[in-house]
Amino acid sequence: MQRLLKGLCVALTSLGGSFVSWAEPTYALIGQSAPDFALHAAIGGNARLSEHRGDVVVLSFWSSRCTPCRTQLAALNRSLATYRSAGLTMFGIGVDDDAVQAHDFARSAQVSFALLLDPAKSVSRSYQVDNLPMTVLIDRSGTVRHVLRDYSADSEQLYLRQLRALLNE
Amino acid sequence: MLQMTRVVLLAVLLASATPAARAAPPAARDTPTPAVPAAVPGAPGETGSASSTPAEPAPAASAAAPAAEGATPATEGAADTRGLDQEIQDLKKDVVDLNKDLFILEEELLFPANTQVAVFLSMDIGTFFALDSVTLKLDQREVINYLYTPRELEALLKGGVQRLYLGNLKVGPHELVAFFNGKGPNERAYKRGASLRFEKGVGAKYLELKINDRQRKLQPEFEIKDWE
Repeated sequence: MQRLLKGLCVALTSLGGSFVSWAEPTYALIGQSAPDFALHAAIGGNARLSEHRGDVVVLSFWSSRCTPCRTQLAALNRSLATYRSAGLTMFGIGVDDDAVQAHDFARSAQVSFALLLDPAKSVSRSYQVDNLPMTVLIDRSGTVRHVLRDYSADSEQLYLRQLRALLNE
Repeated sequence: MLQMTRVVLLAVLLASATPAARAAPPAARDTPTPAVPAAVPGAPGETGSASSTPAEPAPAASAAAPAAEGATPATEGAADTRGLDQEIQDLKKDVVDLNKDLFILEEELLFPANTQVAVFLSMDIGTFFALDSVTLKLDQREVINYLYTPRELEALLKGGVQRLYLGNLKVGPHELVAFFNGKGPNERAYKRGASLRFEKGVGAKYLELKINDRQRKLQPEFEIKDWE
């Protein structure tokens, strides 16, 4: 019985792994140069991605109507506090049409990184955002390396592993 | 399209550079190379003879020999590293030079001098105006909308001049309209425009958008200057 359970666990894990490995390559930007952008921030100055070449950059796409986005932004904020000194930069990119709602969300989120606004959705289109929250990890040379299309405890662990690997490069 | 041109240019440059690199600097190549092979075959040969020598002759001589020869590979190793470093630096310099040539070639191809038009932007002081973005229209057609980050503004305020737009225009009369967005006096949203009608001749045309503080009116001033 124990053996059967073990086997089942292994099968499920490998199945999950294969789903992850199957899902990731479908993101066409992996291995490509990250599209540059300049956006207004909800609070603070404007930001341009190319100014942060040399840092590991994490982009998190959010919306004020997405509940897990708030939890994810808080988790990302914790990781930024830990790894900022190792060369980590983070941007949250809001895809809301309503600027007032986006500003309210940005003020209430209380994160230490810039929350940018993309009402025209030009940046979210260039990053092929098809789910919220979506996180894109860019390495120090400006290449898109990983994408996470949801937020859960497991995906947070995966994100931290991938982030540490990029910071160590 | 631009990327494809760059790739083609890079290929052409590499193809033309490779034979030159093979033929021209044998002396330059030889300089670091002998250091490496001279050290490599020399070191094992010497250590090999050193390990065999102390066993046969007098023990006093053998004690001195390994000590002296033990230092030789270390110094040769350091020389190797230095040679390798030099080679890497030379390679990096070549890459930078090649990239520079490529940029110049690309610019000459895409923006020939007879049709080229370039628009620059400069800022002076900036007490009454904090620039956020600039929109440029050439002959009623929007050609660029550029958003400024705090770093870029800092560079402009330090006296930097930015090339905002580079394009092609045919000979004849044209109109340039620039819209400046930002924060004016008392942190209020501020949007102003400036326009210039100019005649494009046969040579390249250079225009400059200048943002100055007009002290008497306590207002910013926007002008477009035609570099003759």
